[in-house]
Amino acid sequence: MSLYKNCLFLLFLLIDINAFVSGDVNFIASEATSQLKPTLSSSAAGVVNSAVFKPFVDSVFSLSLLSSFPEDLEISDYCVELLNVFGQRYVDYVKCLVPAARPVRVCQNCFSTYGKLVDTYQNISSDQMGPGNVSCRDSLLRSDRLMLVYQLYSNLEDLWLKSDCDHCVTEKFQSLTNATLYFMTTLNQTITCFDKYKEGNHTELCKNCKNTYRGLNELYGKMEKNHTLCIDIEDAMNMTRKLWSKNFNCSFPREETVAVIAVSSFMLFLPIIFYLSSFLHSEQKKRKLIHRE
Amino acid sequence: MANITKKVSWSSRADESAAAGEATPLLNGSEQPQHSRQLSGGGSIFQIGRLSTVDLEEEITSEEDSLRGRPKEIPHNEKLLSLKYESLDYDNIENQLFLEEERRMSYMGFRCLEISRWVVCGLIGFLTGLIACFIDIVVEQLAGIKYQVVKENIEKFTEAGGLSISLILWAVLNFTFVMVGAIIVAFFEPIAAGSGIPQIKCYLNGVKIPRVVRLKTLVIKVCGVICSVVGGLAVGKEGPMIHSGAVVAAGVSQGRSTSLKRDFKIFEYFRRDTEKRDFVSAGAAAGVSAAFGAPVGGVLFSLEEGASFWNQMLTWRIFFASMISTFTLNFFLSIYHANPGDLSNPGLINFGRFEGDSVTYNLYEIPLFIAMGAIGGLLGALFNVLNYWLTIFRIRYVHRPCLQVMEAMLVAAVTATVSFTMIYFSNDCQPLGPESTEEYPLQLFCADGEYNSMATAFFNTPERSVRSLFHNQPGTYNPLTLGLFTLTYFFLACWTYGLAVSAGVFIPSLLIGAAWGRLCGILLASITSTSSVGAQHSSAIWADPGKYALIGAAAQLGGIVRMTLSLTVIMVEATGNVTYGLPIMLVLMTAKIVGDYFEEGLYDIHIKLQSVPFLHWEAPATSHWLTAREVMSSPVTCLNRIEKVGTIVDILSNTSTNHNGFPVVVQVPGSDEPAKLCGLILRSQLIVLLKHKVFVELARSRLTRRKLQLKDFRDAYPRFPPIQSIHVSQDERECMMELTEFMNPTPYTVPQETSLPRVFKLFRALGLRHLVVVDDENRVVGLVTRKDLARYHLGKHGLEELQLAQT
Repeated sequence: MSLYKNCLFLLFLLIDINAFVSGDVNFIASEATSQLKPTLSSSAAGVVNSAVFKPFVDSVFSLSLLSSFPEDLEISDYCVELLNVFGQRYVDYVKCLVPAARPVRVCQNCFSTYGKLVDTYQNISSDQMGPGNVSCRDSLLRSDRLMLVYQLYSNLEDLWLKSDCDHCVTEKFQSLTNATLYFMTTLNQTITCFDKYKEGNHTELCKNCKNTYRGLNELYGKMEKNHTLCIDIEDAMNMTRKLWSKNFNCSFPREETVAVIAVSSFMLFLPIIFYLSSFLHSEQKKRKLIHRE
Repeated sequence: MANITKKVSWSSRADESAAAGEATPLLNGSEQPQHSRQLSGGGSIFQIGRLSTVDLEEEITSEEDSLRGRPKEIPHNEKLLSLKYESLDYDNIENQLFLEEERRMSYMGFRCLEISRWVVCGLIGFLTGLIACFIDIVVEQLAGIKYQVVKENIEKFTEAGGLSISLILWAVLNFTFVMVGAIIVAFFEPIAAGSGIPQIKCYLNGVKIPRVVRLKTLVIKVCGVICSVVGGLAVGKEGPMIHSGAVVAAGVSQGRSTSLKRDFKIFEYFRRDTEKRDFVSAGAAAGVSAAFGAPVGGVLFSLEEGASFWNQMLTWRIFFASMISTFTLNFFLSIYHANPGDLSNPGLINFGRFEGDSVTYNLYEIPLFIAMGAIGGLLGALFNVLNYWLTIFRIRYVHRPCLQVMEAMLVAAVTATVSFTMIYFSNDCQPLGPESTEEYPLQLFCADGEYNSMATAFFNTPERSVRSLFHNQPGTYNPLTLGLFTLTYFFLACWTYGLAVSAGVFIPSLLIGAAWGRLCGILLASITSTSSVGAQHSSAIWADPGKYALIGAAAQLGGIVRMTLSLTVIMVEATGNVTYGLPIMLVLMTAKIVGDYFEEGLYDIHIKLQSVPFLHWEAPATSHWLTAREVMSSPVTCLNRIEKVGTIVDILSNTSTNHNGFPVVVQVPGSDEPAKLCGLILRSQLIVLLKHKVFVELARSRLTRRKLQLKDFRDAYPRFPPIQSIHVSQDERECMMELTEFMNPTPYTVPQETSLPRVFKLFRALGLRHLVVVDDENRVVGLVTRKDLARYHLGKHGLEELQLAQT
């Protein structure tokens, strides 16, 4: 046992010495365990000072190495071209999106730019070989850990899905659906009506715009049931409702308080009568005791 | 207290009772001598005895009373023991027939028996799951229709004016449903009222509650619970599920239905109390598991309530029944929800998933949880005290069925009124969220696109309200809404429990607790955000009121029902989150400790008020000085080993001595020595013997006569005919009956000096029904039964004795 221990100790000593001798920066690192592996590999293989163990050291060098990759690892001109187009359309779409953030118009304004972006991305991600038998899918989308192109695109795709714009845009991103257009017209009518009576007394507005507003509300309810709503419509409706209820105060007033109170106090009065009468008139239940003396 | 003896006979009226004929049920209530007559035939609260002969004997009764002076009458209170309850015969009767049958049975026979036990458990689980599924779907559909109608009506009248009409419509709808539910319960099967958990607790404790496991009870329970939940009362459908499971178990395991008069000729071996009770515990477990999606909780529930007689194999079978029941419910609900095969919706109540940040809790929250547990215990005790007084009032004054129906209807109407008023005057408007789960959002006077927050709590089935309190985003409710809701719902739930409708108290308790728990969460969040002492991350944790709603719900439920281990597991399983195990356990412990300081659990109160001879875990602490001699009943009616038929018939038909077990004694012939104990025979056995005319003389004359088998006893089980329906001619009265073969030759006996706790332990652990007290020469001195033990309890002034009474 003790012999074995001694041997082990010697081995460690050897390794330590070895580490000092090789004099690599990495080996001054604190943890003994992490020291052990590189030491062994370096002492065994000697030459291959493995990059795995100290990537940060390598990266300093690789910056200058990038331009000198061999020809076949370089991405093709075609793919670079595709990447450029993608970048351009991406920028277009984002430029369109930002001003449409409030009030929300992202579906109405940007569906065509989004369509173009989708086209490009589909080109990149398709299996089809471009000129010169190159597929850009692998080289552009998944040759590194970052997968930038994919990430950028999927962010926007998420946004699109979240906004439910598909419900308001025809397939292939041709145009807005008829339902959406119809809703917009109705909405415009309502807003026009609001504008007309905005000045002065709001009761006038509440009375006169009630029909158009209710039509709009019903239309919205119908679309909600059919699942043909997108964020633009929802937002527009929200704003209109807020105008109607908060700004113009056209909600229903609480008018029949007296009647409700009367009915409910009558109802609440009943149990009292019931319990009193059963207390006074009902015969009290008695139990007969069994004697066990 | 010493030497309690009883005046046994002040009447011998065998002929009169015999004349009473068929209508007489077997009044084999107790072993104590008793006056089984009622004055004026006034039905008891439970109307159990109403059909009995006693009505026919009214005149005689009054005559006798005038002779003897009227028995003392007192108003109903908790310190009574009713005579109508009897024990289960859990102890196996190892008579010669039994031994013979065992000898005849092959090895395969026993294997088949074991397998059929598993099959029965599987069936119990399956049927319980189906019933749960049925209740769930019907309640959802009917409640859906009701709320839709009321919602449309309210919407119409919000604009046009006349909301008081909506109020009346809502009240009338509630009123109607509850009326149906109350009528079927009050007039057809009063035992189906309430949650049924107290009754099942008693049954598992070893008390036979009349009619509690009948098919009729099940049907009325199921319909009743649907009516009361749809009727908008502050009730849940979970408690009744446990009762339903128990009835299913009792029915399936017998392989026949006495009510329907159908005998499937299967599972005949299980037709005795021992087996039936084991299956009932499986049924109760299956019920819990179907109600909460908590199979382990179900097993533990049965374990907790019936733990005295238990074995591992049975536990495993019970677990099997629970699993099957959850699975069945899950499967059929998945079909109903149109995604068959999705088995992630266990239980009638689904707490939904607690995920993400909301599940984390930190060390500094533990004191808060404990404080909430204490609040739950206090509120629970308050609930129980109020309900106790209310129940006493109901037993004393609201005992007629029509009054009970009226009361239930009034409660329904008032519940609707209060809810409506709350909603009407609430100013708490919340925007409809994108993932809003409100099924019936009411707008009322809120701005368009917003809904009344009070309505999500009141205008919904209670299960849904609980779930929205657990899971809606922070800010969905404002504190005032929650406070008002807690207050009103507390009193409504307290008022509702104990009505003559079948309904449980689990969900209302959870709902009350969830409401004030969420309130606590909101207040904590606002305190931490204003004081800015807590760093940002801590306020982020505290900002989730759903967690506090869960803790509050657990605290409130624990404070009301006071179950321990099983409730913890049920809550953890229903939450579907083991992370909350510790907080829930802490909260339940605190709630129980604090609550027990003031008042017992709700179920125990109701058991007490029903005057059930319930044996608790242990004998009262200061009862060691009591010995069997003081506890027992004596003198005991004994039978000789070879007894004259006439004597037996007389003893059995004596209504003043409804003894159920008779020690069999043997007299050494030719000596003056007193008779010595040699066995014990039950009333039911004697009745079967009389029915088959197993007389010594007849056996001699007809040699080919078939020998009586255990099967004959099983066929008569569980409703043995009353003695009055058995005709014994004058000649036959002179015959003799040989009891050796049928009696239990080895009854448990104790010496006279045995202390009460020792006797108590024997009873509790072995499930005994009779315990013979003998002297040192094996002569019968007395008989200890359940009621002799249950009447001692520890009151405020030391050991108190309950009185026996006619209920």
